[in-house]
Amino acid sequence: MGKTIVEKILSSHSKDEVKPGNIIWLDIDVRSARDFGGPNVVKHYKEHYDSEPVDNPKKTFFTFDLVAPAKTIKYAINQSLCRRFAREQGIKVYDVGYGIGTHVLMEEGHILPGKTAVGTDSHYNIVGAIGAFGQGMGDVDITFVFKTGKTWFEVPKTVKINIKGSFEYPTTAKDLTLYILKHIKTEFALGRAIEFYGDAVESLPLYGRITLLSMVTEMGGIIGYVPFTEKTVEEVKAFTGRDDFEVFYADTDAEYEKEIEIDVSGLESQVAAPPHPHNVFPVSELKDVKVDMIYIGSCTNGREEDIESAWKILKGKKIKDGVILSITPATRRAYKKLMEKGILQDLFDMGAIITNPSCAGCAQGHPGMTGEGEVSLNTSNRNFPGKQGKGETYLVSPEVAAASAITGRITDPREVL
Amino acid sequence: MEKIIKSRVIKYGDGVNTDVIFPGRYTYAIMEPDEMAKHAMEDIDPEFQNKVKERKIIVAGRNFGMGSSREQAVTSLVYAGIKAVIAKSFARIYFRNAINNGLLVIEQKEAADFIEDNDEVEIDTEKNEIRVRGKTFTFPPLPEEVLKIVEAGGLINYVKEKIKREA
Repeated sequence: MGKTIVEKILSSHSKDEVKPGNIIWLDIDVRSARDFGGPNVVKHYKEHYDSEPVDNPKKTFFTFDLVAPAKTIKYAINQSLCRRFAREQGIKVYDVGYGIGTHVLMEEGHILPGKTAVGTDSHYNIVGAIGAFGQGMGDVDITFVFKTGKTWFEVPKTVKINIKGSFEYPTTAKDLTLYILKHIKTEFALGRAIEFYGDAVESLPLYGRITLLSMVTEMGGIIGYVPFTEKTVEEVKAFTGRDDFEVFYADTDAEYEKEIEIDVSGLESQVAAPPHPHNVFPVSELKDVKVDMIYIGSCTNGREEDIESAWKILKGKKIKDGVILSITPATRRAYKKLMEKGILQDLFDMGAIITNPSCAGCAQGHPGMTGEGEVSLNTSNRNFPGKQGKGETYLVSPEVAAASAITGRITDPREVL
Repeated sequence: MEKIIKSRVIKYGDGVNTDVIFPGRYTYAIMEPDEMAKHAMEDIDPEFQNKVKERKIIVAGRNFGMGSSREQAVTSLVYAGIKAVIAKSFARIYFRNAINNGLLVIEQKEAADFIEDNDEVEIDTEKNEIRVRGKTFTFPPLPEEVLKIVEAGGLINYVKEKIKREA
């Protein structure tokens, strides 16, 4: 019997039999903790292993991306705890200012296609975008991986999602992602690996794949993959600065638990209304919702291409009075590219706030909270109550975010093009 | 792990996510167990602190614990006194975190439907049974390797014991 993509990657990193339902011991190539999970990882580590060395400091990282820079003394102390531990152990810290950990670890060529990576970030499965296996885990799990380089994992079943038809700009990967969520909600793929097939997904550029596969978490899934095209291989080489990697594809006789087909022909922009990411409507049904704050960024839509796309819509227009537009590039590298192209200057001149690279408002870490009664649009991935303040959060594409910044209400980008 | 857990329950619906179990604004701003316990569930149920004094089991719908990987979403409930969560399904990261931190998590769709708020429920971890209002529901045991982790009091202890045995 053939293997699915996740089964192939797991097989290349385990001595155990990789079969759905089996618990296997898995070798982990990259292990990381953030400024949230990190301090507890250090605490657990010292408690259980004292000053013993970590399994491999070259494969171990801290990435500070949530409360970055620290906004209270408690957070500052937590970060300094991690820095000190990192110095003692010879571990690299991608400190405040580098940007979102998973993105940085891919950009820096640590996480590569076919590799395994875990960290204290529930969107760690975003690395599926470059054909790696990644998994968010809690502090105890990560402590254990720091020490041993291994973790236990139940091999997931794989489900297949076939995307039929195609759509046109200004509908983009985020709209596709929200539309898929609308259809499968959180049950179809709960605890499963997902493989996506069809022209509309396979033709997605890398940044669009990042958007889609970051939200496999919101689908309840373990990890998602879109098979690489030749173009993806080139994009991943440029993105990671490496070409020494192996790309896995599913065997033709691989076994899938179930399949679903979703037709996206002529898809218009989509919006996820509160209180959860699968509460999705076409933009036209929500066009009377007035907006106070708009955030463009996050691991889901914080790449330079996302922000450039928003800028194209905003260019030559004015941000509506009373609307706050805040932009957070995912990483320093994305920031630099946008700076070099003059895009940040333009956005700044329009009145937008440009923050340092980070997870922005996610986890209420960085800028971006709303007060009671306020409405925010966010290009991130979660709109649960309390997630981004007391107000209501709608999830949108960068294009809808930009169009809505011009009008002050939820807007179909076609209206302002 | 206790063999019999007996308590009245607190019932919630589908999609109880980590942001309402333990809000992001407190994550790592608060690390003391007592303080963490005080903020558990505050965004979904302002009455939780009163309820949890007498009720030690949570019953919920689908995808309990969806969202963040923050372990506080498990430990804050443990510190508040919750012994077990019965749900129709769990988010996978949450399920692991629960196992690693000694919170009993049981997937049992029928029981999660049948049990009503405030019902007196008995969980028998030896017979893998949930008993409530004269009805008995069985649940599948955890996989052997996972059960060993739970019984050892978590992942790190389990491997320590294993290494000791092998030495």
